[in-house]
Amino acid sequence: MSEKPLLSVENLTVRFALNRGGLFGAASYLYAVDDVSFHVNRGETLAIVGESGSGKTTAALAAARLVSSHDGKVVLDGQDVLPLEGEDLRQMRRKVQFIFQDPYSSLNPRQRAEEIVREPLQSLTDTSAPEQQEITDRLFAEVGLRPEQKRLFPHQFSGGQRQRIGIARALATQPELIICDEPVSALDVAVQAQILNLLSALQKEFGLTYLFISHDLGVVQHMCDSVAVMYMGKIVEHADRKSLFNNPLHPYTAALLSAVPTVDKTLRQKTRRILIPGDPPDPTQKQTGCRFASRCPVAQDQCRQAEPPLKEIAPHHRVACHLVDEKAVSPL
Amino acid sequence: MTEPLLKVQNLRVELTTRNGTAPVIDDLSFELFPGENISFVGESGCGKSMTALAIMGLLPEGIGRITAGSIIFDGQELTELSPERLRSIRGNDISMIFQEPMTSLNPVYTIGEQIVEVLLAHQSISRQQAWATAADLLDAVRIPKARERLKDYPFQLSGGQRQRVMIAIALACKPKVLIADEPTTALDVTVQAQIFDLLRDLRKETGTSIILITHDMGAVAEMAERMIVMYAGRIAEVGAVDEIISAPRHPYTKGLISCVPHVLATVSDTKEPLTEVPGIVPSLREFGRDQCLFASRCQHRTEECLSARPKAVSFGQDHAADCWHAEGLS
Repeated sequence: MSEKPLLSVENLTVRFALNRGGLFGAASYLYAVDDVSFHVNRGETLAIVGESGSGKTTAALAAARLVSSHDGKVVLDGQDVLPLEGEDLRQMRRKVQFIFQDPYSSLNPRQRAEEIVREPLQSLTDTSAPEQQEITDRLFAEVGLRPEQKRLFPHQFSGGQRQRIGIARALATQPELIICDEPVSALDVAVQAQILNLLSALQKEFGLTYLFISHDLGVVQHMCDSVAVMYMGKIVEHADRKSLFNNPLHPYTAALLSAVPTVDKTLRQKTRRILIPGDPPDPTQKQTGCRFASRCPVAQDQCRQAEPPLKEIAPHHRVACHLVDEKAVSPL
Repeated sequence: MTEPLLKVQNLRVELTTRNGTAPVIDDLSFELFPGENISFVGESGCGKSMTALAIMGLLPEGIGRITAGSIIFDGQELTELSPERLRSIRGNDISMIFQEPMTSLNPVYTIGEQIVEVLLAHQSISRQQAWATAADLLDAVRIPKARERLKDYPFQLSGGQRQRVMIAIALACKPKVLIADEPTTALDVTVQAQIFDLLRDLRKETGTSIILITHDMGAVAEMAERMIVMYAGRIAEVGAVDEIISAPRHPYTKGLISCVPHVLATVSDTKEPLTEVPGIVPSLREFGRDQCLFASRCQHRTEECLSARPKAVSFGQDHAADCWHAEGLS
């Protein structure tokens, strides 16, 4: 990873106010993303994995300036993103686009498909109307929609086709980074494969960089070059694809991997299911120590007392666990 | 050979739509034995959930009806029973867990009241006994501090806990058949693993037969012994889970297995594109035609496929595939 990353996020913190404070006591906050750092190299895919509520979407939204962050630094293509305002911010938005999870609610039901795809061109670029039409036409072909479908409304499309419209919209401004927030989890399995293949093909063709958010480890393993695993607002493990899946070090990563049902009979007999009991603790209560300690099968006293830092234990492999050292052996 | 607990024969369910009637279940036959776990697989719109609703007698009133075939449960013909009699079976002998744990509980009653309601409706026990049983049930589905949690409302529970409450309600009267319709789709993987473990243990303890409806081949492989792959209201393939997964005979089954990126034991540097099943499930208008309904998406399509509905070709004792070319594919 000698090349300069396209996106680098340093110590990003996003908090939401639970209670504004004032007369009746101090303000309290929920730290949805807590001191998170990661980077994505140009042309590659970083997957952020985690369960619902782990802060993966919030981290991506904050990096794209769609929620305001409390602290930290986001550098996109050499430019510090967080202080941007006005025209500079508009230029930055052109470079970062989003593909949303739900193709049913992320398209305006009262706009025609071509208007949806054209909208980012109108609001973020200075292209002329004929140019916009040309780009829209090309994008429709690119994502596998027929030209006569341009005049249709979202409800006239199937889920997979709607997601194609969403992808065309994201591609419209020729962005460098596309944030895919669970792009296939609302789709049927067969359609899911079509969309994943389309995303891979587009990445190759346009040299796109993806920040890929998903809870489906099969999809992540298929799509990503590196993975960041989040748990309760923290990155617990961050590694390239091979290291993470072949040698998961954090107990939470190992548990996540072992929980995925598989059709491979030999793999099923080989993997020992690591059951993590219960649910994540209440995020509104500030915790001491490792956040995973209450569910971790190998937690020790030190885990409950001090929070483990995210440290590099092998090249391109960072883990936040007291029980993992330079030997890179899983504590389980 | 033991008698099947549930026997569905040549079932046909029609839905009335604006464009006329469409057979959403077309000539479905299967048997479920005591203690067996059978799984229905397919994309949405293939008739999996309709099968469950037909068995439960819960087809949408005025829109869906059983037009042919029989459902025999424990020696009784369910399609001919009176609504009262059916109500006493439903929730008692056959019960169901739904997909959405967020919406299938009543938000204005405590979970205790909702469990007790089922017990009092089907069993002649006192209110006090019912509350005691409810606490035991919550305990059985591994909700900590069961007795105190009975007083909680659904919004106070997490998604996984709500699904456990649903399971507790479904199991309240020790049903002989439990139908689980995508029970873990809305849940995280670690919670899904907990729910599957729970269902497996409960089955071991109570001997309940489970019908699992899902689109996840991995879940089928972990949970069921036999599976039925459905496509457009018809059976595409039926057989033992291990056998079908290792050697699927129907192109649709093959597609369903290979189009999902499965987690591999060891990862290499190469990334192959996924095998695609092109297109989508046909619309209701096309259901019931005398041809192979999968033909439009199938790479093995020939004239034959478009001219007549394929017949089941059997491979071995239980394994059969409805495809004109099943013998050539392996």
